[in-house]
Amino acid sequence: MSAEAAAEDHDDHHHELPFWRKYIYSTDHKVIGIQYGVTALLFLAFGFFLMMVMRWSIAYPEEPLPGWMSWVFSEEWKARWLQDGRLTGETYNMFGAMHGTIMVFLGIVPLGFAAFGNFVTPLQIGTVDMAFPKLNMVSYWCYGVGGLLMLGSFFMESGAAKSGWTNYSPLANFADGQIINQFLAGQTQWLLGMVFLITSSLLGAINFLTTIINLRAKGMTWMRLPFFVWAILVTGFLLLLAFPPLEVAALMQLMDRTVGSSFFVPTGLYTKTAGVIEASGGGSPLLYQHLFWFLGHPEVYVLLIPAIACVAEVIPVNTRKPLWGYKPMVWSILCVGFLSFVVWAHHMYLTGMGPVISTWFQTTTVMISVPSVILLTSLIISLWGGSIRFNVPMLWAVAFLPMFGIGGITGLPLAFNLVDLHLHDTYYVIGHFHYVVAPGVLFGFFAGIYHWFPKITGRHFDTFLGHLHFWPSLIFMNLLFFPMLVQGMAGFHRRWYNGGDAYLAKAEDSVNVFGNTVAEWIYLNPLMSWAAWLLALSQVPFVINLVFSIRWGKKIKNDNPWDATTLEWATPTPPPHGNFTFDVGAYRGPYEYSRDDHEGDFFPQWEEPRKDKPAEEPVKEPVK
Amino acid sequence: MEIPFTVTARKDTGLFNAKVGIWLFLASEVMLFGGLFSGYVFLRIYADYPWPERTLPVLPGLINTFVLIGSSVTVVFAWASLKMRQWRRFQVFMSLTIACAGVFLILKGIEYKAKWEHQAVRMDDFAVIEGHTHKAELDEKGHMHVAHGHGEEEHGTRFWANRLIFKTEAASFSLVRAYEPWVDTMLEQAKERHAELVASEDVFLYGHPADYPAPEVERKAAEQKLIGEHKNSKPSQHRFGKNSLYVAKGTPLNYRLLEKARGVFVAGRAGNAKVRTRVLRSKWDVAHAEHPGKPNWEIADRVKIEPADLAGKVVGLTPALSFDLKPAIPLVLKRSWIRNRPLAAGAEKASLRDDTSLTGHLEDSPIALAVDAVDFRFMAMKAEEADKNPMTVIERSWIFSEKNAHAEDFKKVWELHKKRIKKVEEHLVDKYGYKDEAKKIPDRVPTETERYRIGWKDLVQYARAQKMGVEPGQKEFAKLRPTMTEGFAGPNHKNKEYTEELHPFLELEIPHQKVSLESKFTPKWNTYYAIYFTLTGLHGLHVVGGAIVLSYYLFFSKGLYRRNPEWLANRVEVGGLFWHFVDLVWIFLFPILYLM
Repeated sequence: MSAEAAAEDHDDHHHELPFWRKYIYSTDHKVIGIQYGVTALLFLAFGFFLMMVMRWSIAYPEEPLPGWMSWVFSEEWKARWLQDGRLTGETYNMFGAMHGTIMVFLGIVPLGFAAFGNFVTPLQIGTVDMAFPKLNMVSYWCYGVGGLLMLGSFFMESGAAKSGWTNYSPLANFADGQIINQFLAGQTQWLLGMVFLITSSLLGAINFLTTIINLRAKGMTWMRLPFFVWAILVTGFLLLLAFPPLEVAALMQLMDRTVGSSFFVPTGLYTKTAGVIEASGGGSPLLYQHLFWFLGHPEVYVLLIPAIACVAEVIPVNTRKPLWGYKPMVWSILCVGFLSFVVWAHHMYLTGMGPVISTWFQTTTVMISVPSVILLTSLIISLWGGSIRFNVPMLWAVAFLPMFGIGGITGLPLAFNLVDLHLHDTYYVIGHFHYVVAPGVLFGFFAGIYHWFPKITGRHFDTFLGHLHFWPSLIFMNLLFFPMLVQGMAGFHRRWYNGGDAYLAKAEDSVNVFGNTVAEWIYLNPLMSWAAWLLALSQVPFVINLVFSIRWGKKIKNDNPWDATTLEWATPTPPPHGNFTFDVGAYRGPYEYSRDDHEGDFFPQWEEPRKDKPAEEPVKEPVK
Repeated sequence: MEIPFTVTARKDTGLFNAKVGIWLFLASEVMLFGGLFSGYVFLRIYADYPWPERTLPVLPGLINTFVLIGSSVTVVFAWASLKMRQWRRFQVFMSLTIACAGVFLILKGIEYKAKWEHQAVRMDDFAVIEGHTHKAELDEKGHMHVAHGHGEEEHGTRFWANRLIFKTEAASFSLVRAYEPWVDTMLEQAKERHAELVASEDVFLYGHPADYPAPEVERKAAEQKLIGEHKNSKPSQHRFGKNSLYVAKGTPLNYRLLEKARGVFVAGRAGNAKVRTRVLRSKWDVAHAEHPGKPNWEIADRVKIEPADLAGKVVGLTPALSFDLKPAIPLVLKRSWIRNRPLAAGAEKASLRDDTSLTGHLEDSPIALAVDAVDFRFMAMKAEEADKNPMTVIERSWIFSEKNAHAEDFKKVWELHKKRIKKVEEHLVDKYGYKDEAKKIPDRVPTETERYRIGWKDLVQYARAQKMGVEPGQKEFAKLRPTMTEGFAGPNHKNKEYTEELHPFLELEIPHQKVSLESKFTPKWNTYYAIYFTLTGLHGLHVVGGAIVLSYYLFFSKGLYRRNPEWLANRVEVGGLFWHFVDLVWIFLFPILYLM
C-alpha cells in the first residue's frame, strides 16, 4: 500500500510528530534501524576499548597502565580495580568477559540483524514498515535497558561480570557471591541484562519473520527476494528458536544466585571463602554448558549471516552481474541455519562427554562447513568476469572474502575433537573466531554501511577518508589476529592476563618444554597489542567521515546512485514514512545486471515491463 | 499509513499478520519450556540423591488441570461469539475464562504457600526431617525458649526457631562492605534489649596525605591533641584536616557514621593508589631506560616500589570500625548471614558475609520444630553406597541416640513403622510370590519410599492406630490413613483433631552443628523443588500475562468492537491461541511433576 493511497487514514501521520516521537520513541523501521546502528557502534567502540586495556597487560605485564589509557577512569575506580596502576587478574577477567558480551550481544547482533535488518528489509521487500511497528520500538528499548544494565554493572562494588562471556557455572554462580543484595552484583545484573537482550531479539525476530512472510510486495515471490532478505529470514529463525534455552540457563543461574537453588551446583562443592557450600547440591555444571551452547552456536551464525547478506548485496551492484549461484546460496543458507542447531557440543569436547557423542558433533560440524563453503565460493565466483568497480563498499566486500575464508578454514581443525584436545581454550580459538567476526563480519558491515549511507542520508561518504579507514584496518586486523593462530598452536592459553610471563621457563637450560615454547613466541605480544591500538586509531577516519559526510558529503545525483536493481533504491532519498511513493511491485529477479535482452546496463526489479516488448524470459545463465 | 494484512488474511499464506506472529512466538515458547523440560530430564537422571517421587499433593493439581481445560473451551466460545457479533455472549465467556485463570492462580497460591511455610532439615548424617518450625523467645538471661501456643501473632521479640543466638560483646564493621539492613537489624535488636553499640576506641581515619604526618610520634601527638579538644563533649565524630575523620570512643553506631567513614577511606585509598601508580610508572621508565629493548618479563623482578618512595605521600588506612555492645546482648541472626558455617557450639567469633566480625559466644540455638516427616532414604542410599546395612546405620543415627532428648518418641514410631513394613512385605509375598524360590527372593518388595520415609500421613495413621489399639495388618489399619481432602495442600498443623487429640507430629530440637542444610520447601531445598518452582512459576507467570491480555479485551475493547469487530476477533483469536498453549504446557507439567 503506498504512502499516497493511505494518506486519508490515521490522523496522527498527517501532522509533524514532535521530536521525541520522531526520533526517540519512533515506530518507523528506518529510525529504529538507525537507533540500533548508532547504539551498536557505540557499544562496539566501548568493547574495543576494554580489549585495548587488556592488551596492555598482555604486552607489558607488571607495568601500570599508561596515562593515555587510564585517564578515563576515576581515581576511586583505579584504587579499587588496579594494583598500583597495574591491571589485576580479576579486572582483566572482568574486562574480558564484558568485551565478549558487549561485542557479541550489544554490538554485532544489534548492528547486523537489528540495524541493517530493520532499515533494509521492508524496503527490499517493497512494503511500508514492519508488521508490528510498536513491537519494533519495544524491541529497541529492551535492548537499551539491557545495555544500560550491562554498562551500569561496571559501577557496582562488585564490578561487572567476570566469568567469561560464556559465564560458566560454578564460577559464574559464585563470582560476586559476597555481595549480600544480589541485585547489586555485576554477575546478577549480567543475567538480568541478558534477559532483556534476549527478549529484544525474540520480539525482533517475530517482527522480521512475520514481515518477510506476510508483507512482501506483489510479484515478490520467494525466489525473487534479494539474498539479503533470505539471510535475515534465516537469522530470524535462529534467534527465535535458539535464544530461549539461554533464557532458561540465565533464569536458572539467576535462581541459583538469588534463592540459593542448585541447578548448576554439584554436591560437595568447596570454595576457599565459604568452605563446603551450604546448598543442596545435586545440580550439574554441564547442564549450563549444554543450554548455553545450544544458543551459543546458532549465535555465531547470527553474527555471520547478516554480514554475508551485506556482501551479497554489494558484490552484484559493483560487478554489474548477477550473484552467481543464487539458488544454491539460498539452499545453503537454509542448510546452515538448520545444521547450526545440531553442532553445539563441539564447544564442549573437553567436558568428558565421551567419544560417541563427540563423534556425532564432529560429524555435523564438518558437514556444516559444506554449505558455508558453497556460500563463500559463490560470492568469489560472482566476481569472475565482472566489470568491477572498486569503490569503498566493494573494497570492504572483497576483503571480507579472504578474511572470512581464513576464519572459516581455521575453524576446521577445531571441528575434530582429537585436534581440539590440543587447541581448546588456546589463542588459536581466539584467532579463529576473531578472524571470522572482526575482519570478517565487521568488514561485511562496513561494506553495508558505506553502500547504504547514500540512501539513508542522501550524501556520499568521502572516498579518501574511506580508503584511510579501510587499508590500515585491513593491515592491522591481520597483524593482530594472525599471530594468535601461531601462539595458540604453541599452547598459549586464552585467558592469560599477563601474556604468559608466569609460564616462561626460568633457567637458561630449562627442560620445561612448555616454558621454552612460550618463551619462543611471547615476543609476538607487544606486536599484537600495537596492532590493536593502531587499529583503534584507524577507525578515527570513519568517525570523522560519518560526522562530516552527514552534513557536508557530496550530494547524490539521483535516488539510485549505485545503479542498483533492488527495491530499496526505488524510494525517495531519504525514504519517507511509508517508503514508496508509487504502487511498488517486483517484476523480475533481484540481480538483473547486464542482461542480453535488455538495452540498459541493469534492469531494476521495480520497473514495469514494457507493453510492446515480448514477455521476459527469466535469465538462466550468468551473462558473459 | 496502514500496515497491510492486519485484519484481512493475505491470499498466498492465508494468514493475517498477528496470526503469523503468534505462531512464531509459540515456537519460541516451545523452545523455552522445552529447555526447562530438558533441564528436568537432565537433573532427574543425574540426581545423586533420592528423587522425590510423588510428594506433591495431587488434588490441587488435578482440579487445576480441569479448570484450565475448561478455560480453553470458554475462550474459543468467546472468540466465536465475536465472529458472530454477539457482544454479550463474548463478555460471558471471556469472564468465565478469566475466572478460571483466577481459580488456577488461587489454588497455585495455596500450594506454594504450604511449601514456603514448611521446614526441611538435612542433618550431617543425611537424615532428613520435615515439619513446622516453632516460634521462640529469649528469656532475661538470653536463652532461647520455644514459644508454644497457637497463632502466629508477631510479638516484637518472637522469632522463628531456626535462628542462631550469638551473645555479642563487640562487632567490627567493614567500612566498604557493611550491609545496611543487617546493621539496622542489629541496632534494632540492641534497642529492644536496652543495649548500645558504641565505638570501642578513638579512631582516626585519614583521607588526605596532608592530614597524615609521616613520623609516627608527630601523628600520635596530633591525635592526642584532637582527643583532648573534644573530650568534654558527648562522644561523636568530627571532621578535621582536608578530608579526615576522628571517631571518638563511645560514639553511638549508626549507618550514616559508617558511610562517612567509608567516604574518607575511599578517598585515602584513591590518593594512595595515585601516588603508588606514579612511583611505579617512574620506576618502569627508569628500568626501560637502563635496559633498552628488553621486554617486561625479563626486567619485572627488578622493578618495585620502595617504602622510602612513599614516605609522606600516603596515608595509613583503617578498613573497619569496631563497636562494643554495652551491655553484651544476644543477637538473633539468620543462619545464612554467617560466613564460617557451621559455627561450632560455643564459638567465640562469628563472621558475617558482609565482613562484619562479631566477638562473643554462640548460645544454644537448636532448630525447634514439630516434625511431620522423617526421611531416611538419603541415609539409606549413602549406606548402600558404602556397602553398609541401611537399617543398622539408621538405627544408630542421632535421632534415635541418647543425644536426642526426644529419642524415645521417635523410637516408638520407628518400631511401629517397622512392624507395618513387615506386614507389607508379607502381603506382597502372599500376593506375588517369589521370583527365586530357592533363595526366597520375593517378586515384589516395598519401595525405598515406603521403607525409609515416614510421612505425615503415616504419622497420623500411626497415632490413630495407637489410640484405637489397631495393629498393622488389620483391615481397619488401612482405613485410618488421611484422605486426599484431609491434607489438601500438605500436612495441616492446625487441624483440630491433630492438635487436640492425636498429637501425631513429634517435637524435636536439632543442634545447629548437626545441620548440613536447612530450608523451607523452596528452590534451595533440592533440585527437584528448584525445577518445580521454575517450571510452574514460569507457567504461572504466563497464566497471569495471558489473563491480563484477555482482561484487557474483556474490559476495554468495546470501542474497537464498534469500529472494527473483525480486528477485535483476530486479536481475541490470537490471545486464545496463546491461552491454548499455556494450557498445553500444563497438560505436560501435571503428569511429569505430580504423577511421575
